[in-house]
Amino acid sequence: MKHYLQALCFIAASLLASTAHAGETLQRVERTGVLHDLLVNDDPPFGFIDDTNHLAGFDVDVARAVAQRLGVKLELDTPGWENIVGGHWNGRWDVCICSMTPNTQRAKVLDFPAPYYSSPAVLIVNKAETRIKSAADLTGKKVGIGLGSSYESYLQKALVIPGGKPINFPFGPVQAVPSDETVAFANLALGPGVRLDAVISDLTTAHAYIKKAPAFKIVTELYAEPNWVATDQGDAEWNKKIAATIQSLRADGTLGKISQHWLGEDLTKDQP
Amino acid sequence: MRHVKSQFSLALSGIRRATGGPAASIPGEPGASRHFRLHVRLTWLILLALLALLLSRFGLQFSLIRDKLPFLLGLHLSPDGFIQGAPLTLLITLISIVCSSLIATLVACGRMSSNPIAFALATFYGSLFRGTPLMLQVLVIYLALPQVGIVMDALTSGILALSLNYGAYLAETIRGGVLSVPPVQREAAQALGLPRHVIALQVIAPQALRIIIPPAGSMFISMLKDSSLVSLMGVWELNFLAQSYGRSTYRYMEMLITAAAIYWFMSIICELLQARLEKRYGKGYANPHLT
Repeated sequence: MKHYLQALCFIAASLLASTAHAGETLQRVERTGVLHDLLVNDDPPFGFIDDTNHLAGFDVDVARAVAQRLGVKLELDTPGWENIVGGHWNGRWDVCICSMTPNTQRAKVLDFPAPYYSSPAVLIVNKAETRIKSAADLTGKKVGIGLGSSYESYLQKALVIPGGKPINFPFGPVQAVPSDETVAFANLALGPGVRLDAVISDLTTAHAYIKKAPAFKIVTELYAEPNWVATDQGDAEWNKKIAATIQSLRADGTLGKISQHWLGEDLTKDQP
Repeated sequence: MRHVKSQFSLALSGIRRATGGPAASIPGEPGASRHFRLHVRLTWLILLALLALLLSRFGLQFSLIRDKLPFLLGLHLSPDGFIQGAPLTLLITLISIVCSSLIATLVACGRMSSNPIAFALATFYGSLFRGTPLMLQVLVIYLALPQVGIVMDALTSGILALSLNYGAYLAETIRGGVLSVPPVQREAAQALGLPRHVIALQVIAPQALRIIIPPAGSMFISMLKDSSLVSLMGVWELNFLAQSYGRSTYRYMEMLITAAAIYWFMSIICELLQARLEKRYGKGYANPHLT
């Protein structure tokens, strides 16, 4: 009986043990010669499926450049935002170049080795909106945001960007309406206050929506939103490698060129 | 004379309806009158026309639908060289149908057995997988199992979750079908000295299948739609592609409606298959005098 219990405890302990080992990701990438990159498949122009049914966008080109610099093949995967942001990748993926903004919850399960571009968060309203002229007018309004986005924590006044300036929250209690971002824009297009009063998103996405359907206008920029490369927690060597690669890509102008091509301007410059 | 004849045919159709005749359930069955079939088809056409009218009010961009349809129908492979779109949805559903049927048969046997451990396992499994949402089951298998060391890819996790979930529901359907076979059948077969497996396979099963097929068919059609949940894990099946293309081109409605139409078309094929199976297993019950 004693041996049976001991064996059971040993099995239970080994099953429940954490499996994060230092250097595991770097070893795996070097051994297999493949970089598994995470991506969001429905966020043009950062990551989307183009007319030839291939994943394309700013994030894809940056990932390709990183893989080339590391001398490995690139493989993309699009498992859904919640799966990426939840961490615990269990060796399925190596890096996420997917326009993620660090915040406290994400920092609990992911590491952020390096920033790679910065796109400000903007406040978008319906073209016919007259009451909202600044962030302070958001008090008591219904604001649509993408599920699981950093804009949710902004509305909850809990957003802290590591290494960035402290963010100003000039509004009172706001009714945040998290949903699919596409649905949020569609609801905003119905009219001011019909389902939503405003939407918070990033500048590039807002420009793209306004170009497609001129039913929106940008009120103001809310805060600078740096987007960092993310990796699963626990591999310091891999993080150093990624940070060095991103820095070298920025230094020789590759990042800037990719940014010009997809975003119309160089948003990858180092933040002061 | 005409008056008497019409009363007679009224009575006849009443009997047909009362015996659950084919006119009520399977259009196209010889038992359904031509008049009935014609009016059914006319009504369908009118309803389809109304639906088309409603869709025409949405201002849809049909050129985009035309461009993306080959990709949604899986005529091109995904960038990884795997099948995508509607064929992948069908593949996931078919594999899940096979696996869930196997699981369901086992669980139904356990549920009807006199062995206490088998009974406990079957009832626990049935309660757990019918009592929790399918979406949660998919995510738990995909995200939580890796925490204990079992890492499965998205497709395997999806098929496993679908099979386990629908296996639980199907087990109850199978049990209902078996219970519906009159006990005298088993007693008669035992009196004839037939071995147990012959009784189960050749006597009980064909009669039970007549009751099992309608609800099981509905479940499989429902599974076709539920397979869209694997898109939560980024599998490039029909729902995932429709949403991706829709968001990538800022034309969400077109893609959603196209995907819905493809799902409906696949479901109609399944309904026709189910009708054929029902006809096959209902052979002993169709009244030849009224057809």
